[in-house]
Amino acid sequence: MLKIQNLHASVEETSILKGINLEVNAGETHAIMGPNGSGKSTLAQVLAGHEDYEVDKGSVEYLGNDLLELDVDERACEGIFLAFQYPVELPGVNNTYFLKSALNAQRKHRGEKEIDAMDFMDIISDKIKLLNLKDSLLKRPVNEGFSGGEKKRNEIFQMAVLEPKLALLDETDSGLDIDALKIVANGVNAMKNDERATIVVTHYQRLLNYIVPDFVHVLVDGVIVKSGDKTLALELEEKGYEEVIKETKK
Amino acid sequence: MKVLNKIAADFDNTINHNAILKNIRIENFEEFKKTGIPTSKEEFWKYTDPSIVNDSEFSLGIPNNFEDENFDIIIVNGKIIGNNDIDEVTNIQIGLEQKIIKVSDFNKTSNPFINLNNAFLEEGCVINFRNNTEKEIKVLNIVDNTNSQQIIHPRIVVKAGKNSNITILEEIRFLGAKKNLVNSVTSFYLEDGANVEHIIIDDFSEDTYQISNVLVKQKKDSIFSSYNYSNAKNLARKDFIVELKERGSHCDLRGVYLADKNNHIDHHTIIEHEKEHCTSNELYKGILSGKSTGVFNGRIHVHNEAQKTDAIQSNQNILLSDNAIIHTKPELEIYADDVKCTHGATVGQLDEKGIFYLRARGIKRKEAQKMMMRAYVGEVLSGIKNEETKNNLLEKIIQNIPDGEA
Repeated sequence: MLKIQNLHASVEETSILKGINLEVNAGETHAIMGPNGSGKSTLAQVLAGHEDYEVDKGSVEYLGNDLLELDVDERACEGIFLAFQYPVELPGVNNTYFLKSALNAQRKHRGEKEIDAMDFMDIISDKIKLLNLKDSLLKRPVNEGFSGGEKKRNEIFQMAVLEPKLALLDETDSGLDIDALKIVANGVNAMKNDERATIVVTHYQRLLNYIVPDFVHVLVDGVIVKSGDKTLALELEEKGYEEVIKETKK
Repeated sequence: MKVLNKIAADFDNTINHNAILKNIRIENFEEFKKTGIPTSKEEFWKYTDPSIVNDSEFSLGIPNNFEDENFDIIIVNGKIIGNNDIDEVTNIQIGLEQKIIKVSDFNKTSNPFINLNNAFLEEGCVINFRNNTEKEIKVLNIVDNTNSQQIIHPRIVVKAGKNSNITILEEIRFLGAKKNLVNSVTSFYLEDGANVEHIIIDDFSEDTYQISNVLVKQKKDSIFSSYNYSNAKNLARKDFIVELKERGSHCDLRGVYLADKNNHIDHHTIIEHEKEHCTSNELYKGILSGKSTGVFNGRIHVHNEAQKTDAIQSNQNILLSDNAIIHTKPELEIYADDVKCTHGATVGQLDEKGIFYLRARGIKRKEAQKMMMRAYVGEVLSGIKNEETKNNLLEKIIQNIPDGEA
């Protein structure tokens, strides 16, 4: 599904990604772990298409096409979903209206007809239960006045409605208490299927107890220094990044 | 100066023998002649120079018949052409005879354009709502500038009786493309407990110059809510002077202004907090592009008797091009000691983080920008009582938002 080769990226002339190689197949869950400033979030942003990041070298192939050729909204329409580390508050933009516009933009892109209000409400009421969100949040402006946990759950709620092919979860666990973490993880797990791939970017192993990865990659200073299965996450938790990095260098 | 000669000729041609109006008109015209059209050398006109119309050949046109069933009152070139059987509506002459309004309502002022409007008081419109009336009145102001340069002096006087609940919507429409000057005055008198909503929809034709004055006097516990939309062409200067004359009165002044190219839009608001326990809330938002200029001058004057005043003022601006300019200035003058006054001004661009967030969900940039604009403008209009009016106005504004550099 996704094939990243020797990806180099920078922001304002500061090089951050320095040769990422990663292959993700449909149905797989990958975790990207690493210390602060290693480039985890940058990788998620670059894949989503943030224009502040410059791709200097390398290639990203997504569903057989050159991903880097696409704008951020085109990538979303092609099935890439970024769950934001810091969801943006949009005062005055109604949450339901926003989500319906997004879903219809994606349907239009796929050549499907726009969804009508009734069908849309059916989808919404179905998915909102999954994330244990209050109905009243739908009537409010996007993320405005939401608690930290509500914002993160709202991200996964959007993901559940938009049904992406490739989900990028950027530090979705940060700022969540254990109950909220379980709800978010359940939401993500409920969506897991053979067609969909997930990349979880996280600092801590904690989230991976609930969203169990098939592969774990350790990102340090812009390159993946080690890959393994879910036991690697446990090893990192136990020994810390420095120890594991040291071992790698031997 | 051409324009003054033309105005004087119109004045001489239209002055009639009716004693009351004649005296008002002559007194105000004499006052206007002393000052003429002001220039930007005067502080009050610092950023907006109306004397650029000095070489124009504006004249009063003949009002033709016009119909539009969506409106209750139709005024063509300043003269009432039709009203749909509303018994509250009359003209200035009859209003004076019936003592609905007073001669002193038309005293000369320090503003030359109000004096000029008073000097052409022939066909103004008086709307008198009795106590406890509930009504929505839509006024269409037609400028017939098809054949010649046109000047009009529309005058509307609204009397809102005790505990009345009124909406006045004023919309302007242009029939031609010739250069024109709209010099309007709308005055409101709110009795105790009156609740008046005033909506102005000013979508101007390409060659319009506008001077507008809205004068409001409020008695005890009355509420005045103003929603003022301006899509400025050439030059527009709009003043709001609200006098909170008695305890417990409240005003909301809300506005959205657009300007593009070399156009110029200036708002001056003055709120006189004269008595205790009065509140005011102001929110003006602008979207400027091209080489346009915006001015917002918000004066709040708290008199020494006006304890427990609560006044909020906010002016926000989005500049879509590097060459657009906004002058924003709060002017607070406070003589009471137990008051709460806050003011703030912002100038910026659309929130790029918000746009990225929308795009990351599949929404195209143009549509994302529109959604952000709709939210920005929507906040200003959110209090409009009639949902349909609110939504129509919002759509109209969104359609008219300039594209950026132009």
